[in-house]
Amino acid sequence: MSGCTRRCKLGVVMFARSVHRLVTGTLNKDKAEDELEMTVVCHRPEGLEQLEAQTKFTKRELQILYRGFKNECPSGLVNEDTFKQIYAQFFPHGDASTYAHYLFNAFDSGQNGSVKFEDFVMALSILLRGSIREKLRWTFNLYDLNKDGYINKEEMTDIVRAIYDMMGKYTYPVLRDEAPRQHVDAFFQKMDKNKDGVVTLDEFIASCQEDDNIMQSLQLFENVI
Amino acid sequence: MAAGVAAWLPFARAAAIGWMPVASAPMPAPPRDKRRTQDGLIILNVSGTKFQTWRNTLERYPDTLLGSTERDFFFNEETNEYFFDRDPDIFRHILNFYRTGKLHYPRHECISAYDEELSFFGIIPEIIGDCCYEEYKDRRRENAERLQDDADTENNNDGVLPDMTLRQTMWRAFENPHTSTLALVFYYVTGFFIAVSVIANVVETVPCGTSPGRVKDLPCGERYALAFFCLDTACVMIFTIEYLLRLIAAPSRYKFVRSVMSIIDVVAIMPYYIGLVMTDNEDVSGAFVTLRVFRVFRIFKFSRHSQGLRILGYTLKSCASELGFLLFSLTMAIIIFATVMFYAEKGSTASKFTSIPAAFWYTIVTMTTLGYGDMVPKTIAGKIFGSICSLSGVLVIALPVPVIVSNFSRIYHQNQRADKRKAQKKARLARIRVAKSGSANAYIQSKRNGLLSDSLEQASKEAGQALVSKTSSSFERQHHHLLHCLEKTTNHEFVDEQTYEMSCMEVSTVNQSGSRSSSISSQHGLTATCCSRRNKKTFRLPNSNMSGSRPGSVQELSTIQIRERPPLSNSRSSLNAKIEDTAQLNCDQPYVTAAIISIPTPPVTTPEEDTSQSPDYSQSNIVKVSAL
Repeated sequence: MSGCTRRCKLGVVMFARSVHRLVTGTLNKDKAEDELEMTVVCHRPEGLEQLEAQTKFTKRELQILYRGFKNECPSGLVNEDTFKQIYAQFFPHGDASTYAHYLFNAFDSGQNGSVKFEDFVMALSILLRGSIREKLRWTFNLYDLNKDGYINKEEMTDIVRAIYDMMGKYTYPVLRDEAPRQHVDAFFQKMDKNKDGVVTLDEFIASCQEDDNIMQSLQLFENVI
Repeated sequence: MAAGVAAWLPFARAAAIGWMPVASAPMPAPPRDKRRTQDGLIILNVSGTKFQTWRNTLERYPDTLLGSTERDFFFNEETNEYFFDRDPDIFRHILNFYRTGKLHYPRHECISAYDEELSFFGIIPEIIGDCCYEEYKDRRRENAERLQDDADTENNNDGVLPDMTLRQTMWRAFENPHTSTLALVFYYVTGFFIAVSVIANVVETVPCGTSPGRVKDLPCGERYALAFFCLDTACVMIFTIEYLLRLIAAPSRYKFVRSVMSIIDVVAIMPYYIGLVMTDNEDVSGAFVTLRVFRVFRIFKFSRHSQGLRILGYTLKSCASELGFLLFSLTMAIIIFATVMFYAEKGSTASKFTSIPAAFWYTIVTMTTLGYGDMVPKTIAGKIFGSICSLSGVLVIALPVPVIVSNFSRIYHQNQRADKRKAQKKARLARIRVAKSGSANAYIQSKRNGLLSDSLEQASKEAGQALVSKTSSSFERQHHHLLHCLEKTTNHEFVDEQTYEMSCMEVSTVNQSGSRSSSISSQHGLTATCCSRRNKKTFRLPNSNMSGSRPGSVQELSTIQIRERPPLSNSRSSLNAKIEDTAQLNCDQPYVTAAIISIPTPPVTTPEEDTSQSPDYSQSNIVKVSAL
């Protein structure tokens, strides 16, 4: 009961206030707009010498890479949306956002939602100039979505489905729903040596090294820069 | 595709390593970079102002002057720079386009100068960024209209074309009275008669004094009935002749008859003829009187003579929606107040507010602050509401009118701009879609071309000749290689929409003709989804369950295709074999196969028939056919 009377009193007070405002003709006070905090996050990479020491690129290559990086991301940081946008431009047929998401997680070594130039260049260094073992470890890291050291069937299915999504709708032969799953089954049969349902890093590296095709294709992109 | 992201292509290609372990097929070879251009600075001297940029920046857009070899024509050996004898101010924007991928239009520049520069440097104006596109289009349209107006007035001021027919001359005379003296005379004569007719209509009704034998004043029309009748007849004859002449001279008679001016003409002269036809009957005299009202429409014939009247009419027509809204809100207010006044005055005796419609009159008169005073409220409640009515009348009428008047031009132009933006947006989206599908189709196109040219290359290599391959930018080649790798990873190919539809249609007909095949694989594959293909080598059967179905009718599609032999891998990996058994996808086999899949045929199917049918089928089929 007391709550009711309190509410009534409040209502009457508000009504009287509004009548008063009407009578005296005061205008609505301008609502104070929240000052939009425009914090521009800017990041500068370490010096050229340090990066050259840490990666396997020459100075000139680093210069070219940085110029391209800075052109697309003037603030020096790539967030996930920009990353997805950039990646989607290369695959106009289908939807590259899921795979870009996994890729972003693989690049973002600090897991803080943005990729700095150092992360970018380190990953590229591994992918383009690293040893076979490093490349395979990077790929294992990409597939291991929850970073627990094991790839299970669900993670693999997610990745493969993301890859198939990039193909889009108009493919030949027509994409069936079971195609990713069958792909994953075949992969697991090959990779999972001890048949325990998960693939560890060593199993992965071992089975990839047995496969000539994979070894050949890992050398494919050496001359990209 | 925005070439700004060309810098990220190396990263995308590197990230493709993530597909390698799951790839079901070996990867194609990467394109060889034919020329490793050193990234150097280029100096561009535009009428003395030196610009410098990286060579790669310019080569992002290879179909423009600066990005292609066309710039070599402007190379100056002595100074080792490229010299252009063009406007440096506009060139700044063009160079920024290469740097940022966005073309801007500077507002202070002349539109035709800008267009000239763009066409010189080979840049199509459609890629102007959204921020400047509207302004650019507006200026361009204004310019075009101005040019069109100039051209029109020039045409009009031209002398008579030597071989204009009489009809064309007449029409020109009617439309532009200044062309010849005869037309001018005609113009003034008709104007005079319109004025005479209107004045006669007015004077007809003035009381003219009494005629002998009558008590009250007669209007002049009845007193001098014959004179007025003769005057009317003369005017109507002139109008009729004018109308008929215009009708004869009109280039499109149907359009002329439908035009507003001709309707006004008809309405002006019809009452006279109807009056001639009708007898002086009491029954129809009421209607006859109504008809005479239409004679006043002759005044609208002045709009042919007055530009201002035409503009007013056009303005009213274009602001019809705003006026309609004003009318609607007024009506709402009138109804509300009339109802209130009626019920307020219901009690008073001898009240003039006999019904709500009767109260409408009071409300209108009060709200427009006319206040005739023929209806006044008598009760206190009525007076209160009446005063509220008149106060709100001021608000309802006086306030919106200036707002609406100033809104006329604003809303009118705003609507035009919104429609323009919508149309541009549609066109812009269509352009983006085309560009997207263009880049998508570019890959499919290049695949076909590539395979053809590769097979031709192989053939010519065997024949010992060198072939010039089609030039495409290194960026394109690398991008296509990337897409090719994706195809190999998933073991599916990119196709365009039509082929996709066709393949779905073919399989649906295959499904319809029944499941006569006894093979297990077809139960798995065909009944579930669209096209599955089976590889039949001419000399070996990969699937054991195929042999059972051979003699029966085999429902599959036929195609002949040739795959490029990857230079490195000669053995099929175990991964591939597994996939072939379980998934029955089309495996990419590293050597040339002729995959023959026959269409549904009558029960007697022999291999010879299959192969004979395949050629004509392959024409309607999608996949590349190339003869080796």
